[in-house]
Amino acid sequence: MYVWEFAALKPYWGLIWQGLLVTVFYTVITVAAGLVIGLIVGILRTTAPRWIAVPLRLYIEIFRCTPLLVQLVWMYYALPVLIGVDMSPAMACFIALSLYAGSFYAEIFRGGIEAVDVGQWEAGRAIGMRRGKIFRRIVLPQATQVMIPSFINQTIMQLKNTSLVSVVAVGDLLYQGSVITAASYRPLEVYTTIAVLYFVVLFPLTLVADRVELRLGAHR
Amino acid sequence: MSALIAGNIHKAFGDHEVLKGVSLNVARGEAVTLIGASGSGKSTFLRCLNLLEMPQQGELAIGPHKFAFGRGVRPAGDAQLALLRRSVGMVFQHFNLFPHMSVLRNITEGPVQVKGIAQSEADALGRDLLAKVGLADKADAFPSRLSGGQKQRVAIARALAMKPEVMLFDEPTSALDPELVGEVLAVIRSLASEGMTMVLVTHEMAFAADVSTRVGFMNDGVMAEIGTPEETIRQPRSERLKSFLSRFHETH
Repeated sequence: MYVWEFAALKPYWGLIWQGLLVTVFYTVITVAAGLVIGLIVGILRTTAPRWIAVPLRLYIEIFRCTPLLVQLVWMYYALPVLIGVDMSPAMACFIALSLYAGSFYAEIFRGGIEAVDVGQWEAGRAIGMRRGKIFRRIVLPQATQVMIPSFINQTIMQLKNTSLVSVVAVGDLLYQGSVITAASYRPLEVYTTIAVLYFVVLFPLTLVADRVELRLGAHR
Repeated sequence: MSALIAGNIHKAFGDHEVLKGVSLNVARGEAVTLIGASGSGKSTFLRCLNLLEMPQQGELAIGPHKFAFGRGVRPAGDAQLALLRRSVGMVFQHFNLFPHMSVLRNITEGPVQVKGIAQSEADALGRDLLAKVGLADKADAFPSRLSGGQKQRVAIARALAMKPEVMLFDEPTSALDPELVGEVLAVIRSLASEGMTMVLVTHEMAFAADVSTRVGFMNDGVMAEIGTPEETIRQPRSERLKSFLSRFHETH
């Protein structure tokens, strides 16, 4: 019978805390950047001419159809060689995670926008509204409602995906876990703690998601 | 005095020629009804009158807004189109209310966002219009809580809130349960009696005969006959119109 000894982690709480902050920080900045990318790409894919829409499709498919781990490593090792600049692990991770999130968000935005009935655009035009205003005031609010569940899902995935940055030695929660394991020889306690921490951060997020979904759908 | 002049309107979707040169001149205060079989082009023509469909050839003039279409003519921009549509109200078959806004906000959206009227002033206007269409108590309801007939009356109020010169009705009662048709027609009838200029596409023949100053029969992309309701509905000249009307009376 294994004897759990979480007390052995006591000296490392500082590191774990630091790792958690890095994880949350990466999630927040790459979700933010991914949303901007996703919104722009998603809108362009529904409205722009082919010569813009087709390359954007290519971008989306490349990032959706290759593993994130491969993208991270490629950004870190290959891209610097190709464009001849030094890339810090932190920067490579930021770029890869943002583009990855952006490709998924773009599809969510596009789906949401296209799900809005064309009659809504026409009703807006019929009262003299212009395209941008119809989009902002009529279409986007309705598209957002459709998008919220997939959007929350993707964001939860994104937080978990940040664990891959440990591969290129960015000090996130998982990376600190491996460091602590090497020092303490307590892998069970370390990885259990880390799993619990991921859960504790993400579970409330799903509750918030349910709440928001309920409130947005109230008038349906 | 013409409120609306459409001249020689042509429209094709791909190879399919839907409008083959349709003209219509509507005087101020007139109510013109367009009838015809489905596929005759009447709805497309109506949608050309506020340029939800862009004609490929022809002209359109509504008040100070003048447009020409054809090869070598620069297509009108978004801003110009928006300006035209401020003064042309449209009511759709499927209402197209904004589901994420209350009834009152649906009505004030145009005045506030397009004309820049203060929200409080627009609210007062909106409540007046709701009273006019018999829905004063529904201001704060969301569209999903309304019956089809109520939705369509809100849609009419929304169009009227822009104080349009001309109102277009695209089969306003076709999506309604039969028992709800009357309340919508009553609102349209009262508008007509107040002298609102309107063009109406409908299958309600008795109503058309009753409220219209003129009835046009569209067939195969052309305005086959147009005249007073008496002339068009009671004394059809062409065989096409006779058979359309008789088929119509059999099924309605």
